[in-house]
Amino acid sequence: MKKVKVAFFDFTCCEGCQLQVANMGETLLDVLDLIDVVEFREVMSEKSSTYDVAIVEGSITTHHAIERIKKIRKTAKVLIAFGSCAAIGGINGMKNNFDLTDIREYVYQKDAKHFDTIPTRAVHQVVPVDYFVPGCPVYIPEFVKVLKSALMGIAYNVPDNAVCVECKLNENECMYDKGIACMGPVTRAGCNSWCINNGNICYGCRGIVSNPAEKGQKDIMEKYNISLEWIENKINMYNKPRELGELKTNE
Amino acid sequence: MEKYVVLKKKDFNDFIAKLALMQTVVAPVKKGKKSFAFQEVTTGKEIALQYIPTILPPKKYFMPQQETIMKFNKAKFEWTPVLEYNEITIFGVHTCDLAGIQCLNMVFTNKPKDINYIVRKDKITIIGFECNAYCDEFASCAAMDNHIPNGGYDLFFTELNDSFIIHVNTLMGEKIIEEISLFSKANDDNLKELEELRTKKREIFKNELNTKHSDLKAVFENSFNSKVWKDIGAKCVACGNCTNVCPTCYCFDIKDEMNLDFNTGSRIRVWDSCQNEDFAKVAGGESFREERANRQKHRYMRKFNYPVDKFSRYFCTGCGRCTRTCMAQIKLKETVNALAEEKK
Repeated sequence: MKKVKVAFFDFTCCEGCQLQVANMGETLLDVLDLIDVVEFREVMSEKSSTYDVAIVEGSITTHHAIERIKKIRKTAKVLIAFGSCAAIGGINGMKNNFDLTDIREYVYQKDAKHFDTIPTRAVHQVVPVDYFVPGCPVYIPEFVKVLKSALMGIAYNVPDNAVCVECKLNENECMYDKGIACMGPVTRAGCNSWCINNGNICYGCRGIVSNPAEKGQKDIMEKYNISLEWIENKINMYNKPRELGELKTNE
Repeated sequence: MEKYVVLKKKDFNDFIAKLALMQTVVAPVKKGKKSFAFQEVTTGKEIALQYIPTILPPKKYFMPQQETIMKFNKAKFEWTPVLEYNEITIFGVHTCDLAGIQCLNMVFTNKPKDINYIVRKDKITIIGFECNAYCDEFASCAAMDNHIPNGGYDLFFTELNDSFIIHVNTLMGEKIIEEISLFSKANDDNLKELEELRTKKREIFKNELNTKHSDLKAVFENSFNSKVWKDIGAKCVACGNCTNVCPTCYCFDIKDEMNLDFNTGSRIRVWDSCQNEDFAKVAGGESFREERANRQKHRYMRKFNYPVDKFSRYFCTGCGRCTRTCMAQIKLKETVNALAEEKK
C-alpha cells in the first residue's frame, strides 16, 4: 500500500496536541508504518507543498490565517481539525468575550496597530472540515481512531452524548456528589472521561452536546447551587466561538 | 431440607482471606463520600458491609462495559468468536441486585441465547448479603418485593447479633462451606434469631409507593399520554446515568475496531443507553425518540410494563440507583406515584 502523505499545521494554539502525537509511544511506530509525515514543524525541519491529509491544530484568528487555511484546504484531500482550538475554537475563543479593539490594545499595548486580529473561529467556520478531534489536549486513542477512519475513508462522528456516560462506565464518584460542579453533563464524550478518572472536573473542552436541555440544566444548577455566571464562564472557556455559527468565508 | 450454617463475626476476615485464595473475590468497597463500588478484595477489612447500592450494579461482571466478542482477519476472510470470562466470587450482593441478576438471566438465556453471557454467568459465584434496614430513602425494594431474599445466590449471609447465618443454596455454595472450615451448623437459637429478624424487617420495610405491586403494570399501561412524561422530559438532561446504573438495563451497541495493520481487528460490545441522543437515530438522521420525554417514558415502560408481558416480571428491582444518580432530580417513587395519582 502506498503510504499516505500527512502534514501537520498549526494556527493559534499551544501546539500541545501535536506534542501528544510526538509522545504517543509505541503506537507512533505503528502509525508511521502507515503514513508518510511530510511536514510537522514541532518534530522535523522538512516541509512539503503536497500532501493528502492535513492535520490542523489551532484556531483561526487573523486574516493571514484565513488565507493560509484556504490554501491548505485546496491542497489536502482530507482535512482534520485537530484539538479543541481547531475543532471548536477553544481557549482562544475567550477573546470573543471582549471588544476586539480593546482586547488587542490590552494585549499588545502601544504596538497594537501592528497586530491584525479577527474574532476567533474554529477551522470549520472558515473552510469545510472532514474530521474533528476535539480535546485539550486530544485524547490519543480517539486520534488514532480518527486517523484510521480517514485512511479507510469512513466517517467518524464525535459522540453526541454526555461525558457522564463514559464517567459512569468508569465508575467514578460523581463530582457533584463531592460537592464540585463539573461540565460532564453538557460536554461531548469520546475522551473516556479522562480528566475525571484522574481526579479533575470536566472543563467542557470537547464541545457542547448538540441538544443540551436548558430547563434541565437550570434544575441542576439550582439543586447544586451553581450560579449562571459560573456556567457561562465555564462554557465560554472553550466554546465561545460557537456563537459565530457555521462556515463564514466572506472576511 | 434447607441448609443453614453459622460464621462467627471474628472469623469473617479469615473467611474472606481464604475465599480470596480460592478465586478472585469482588465486594462492595467505599469509594468516596457516599459512593461504593464492587472491587477486588483480599481481606474482609476492605469490604464495606453497610453500604448503599454501589455506583454500578454487579451486572458489570455479567455483561462488562466493554467486551470483545469476535476477532477478524480480512485477508483470510476469517472470524473467530471470542469469549472473555473470569472465575470470580461476588460477595455482598443485596437482594435488589440479586433480583437484577435474575432479570438479566431471563433476558440472555431467552432466544436468541447469548452464549458469552451464559458462559460468564456460570463462572460467577454469588454470595448475597441481607439488608436489615433501609439503605436510604430512595429505595423502593419493598414495593418491588425484593427486600426479602428470593433465590439467585449460592450463599446468602444475614448478620445476626454476634454471628452471620448463611443459607447454603447450591452445590457451589456447599463446596465453599466445606473447603473453608470456619462454619458450624446453625442451631435452633440461630434460626429463631433469623426468623425474628425477618419479622422485624416486615415491619420496617413497607410498600414505598402508593400502588400495590400487582397494580403497577396497569398504571403504566394507561399512562402513554400522561402529562407526567412531559414534566420529566423537561427536567432530563439525557446524561444516561439512570440506565447505566440500572441493574436490569442491558442495551448494548456493537462496534468493529480495525487494527493499525488494516487487516485484523475486533468486534466489541459496549453498553448503550436509550437516553443517548443517537440511540434511536436511523440512517437519514431521523430519531424515533427525539424528545427526552419519550426516552424517559421508554425507560420506565421497560421496567414496569413491557417485561411483564415478556417475562412475567417487573424489571425494576427497587434499588433506587436511578434516583440517587439523577442529575436533574427525576425520582422514581415520585414518577410512579404521580402516574398512579393521575389514574385515580
